[in-house]
Amino acid sequence: MKTWIKTLVILAAIGMVTATMLFVFVINKSHPDYETKKADYSLSAIDIFNDYSEDIQNASKKYNGKIIEIESTLTEIESSDGQIIACFVLKEGVFGPEGVRIRMLENQKNILKDIAIGEKVTLKGYVTGYNETDVILEHGSIVVQ
Amino acid sequence: MILTLGFSLNISIAQKYTTKTGTIRFFSVAPAENIEAFNHQVNSAIDIVTGDFVFRVLMKGFRFEKALMQEHFNENYVESHKFPNAKFIGTIDEMKELDLTKNGIYEVSVSGNLTIHGITKKVKEKGTLEVKYGIILAHSVFFVKVADYEIKIPKTVMKNIAESIEVTVDVSLTALNN
Repeated sequence: MKTWIKTLVILAAIGMVTATMLFVFVINKSHPDYETKKADYSLSAIDIFNDYSEDIQNASKKYNGKIIEIESTLTEIESSDGQIIACFVLKEGVFGPEGVRIRMLENQKNILKDIAIGEKVTLKGYVTGYNETDVILEHGSIVVQ
Repeated sequence: MILTLGFSLNISIAQKYTTKTGTIRFFSVAPAENIEAFNHQVNSAIDIVTGDFVFRVLMKGFRFEKALMQEHFNENYVESHKFPNAKFIGTIDEMKELDLTKNGIYEVSVSGNLTIHGITKKVKEKGTLEVKYGIILAHSVFFVKVADYEIKIPKTVMKNIAESIEVTVDVSLTALNN
């Protein structure tokens, strides 16, 4: 076989393998590491709650899909179906307490149990939005100061 | 949504049952792959006298196995930046014949408006309400046609996403004054 044909076949093979690896890598790329990801904003629970309550459209544009660090007084820890939710209750609404709710990451559940209700804490999470009663965050973790 | 139920709240607060930790699962079965996603922070409320039933879910709260699927779901299909939530506002059809203060499992149908991707459609779905010592467990499985809600699936991934998505709703509601 001529040298240039050999080279072409090798290059094509390398190209195909690279493309396949890239495709597999993109398809199977992992979720972000929410615990180590840098926060886009850092604010108090009342500030983010007020931002959504006063102008949901602007607040959604600003915070939805972002990582937010919240420093406030922990008012409640809810447990449901193996999920742990840290709550910053800010007001009593028509349907009970309203505020900021953060569903904690699996590895954070035990750490959160060591924090007392009424203690000031900084939590970080991914904002999914405001549902007319609460600001909702997922993938929550504790920020060690 | 939940506020809609609140209009008659002054009548009796004890007739309202709510949760903020309901679960919605959706499941797509297609030739190329099955796709499943969960949301565990679903807001829901039921009025056991009028039969009003509502739920609201934030689309960005759905968790997929693969990050790329989650990205496509939010950015290309449900466009969660434009339409951040889905909601259902309806009524339990058989409410007059039910006594949800008594333990038991009740087969019901629910009629109302389901809004996804900014499109509202009238729906009527079956489900069960299980009353267990003051807790109401609501369960329903139904199918949603993506085309009905103007969710456009590109031809290149049609083998990956079903035309009808199976939606499972599981909410455990407790009396508001609890």
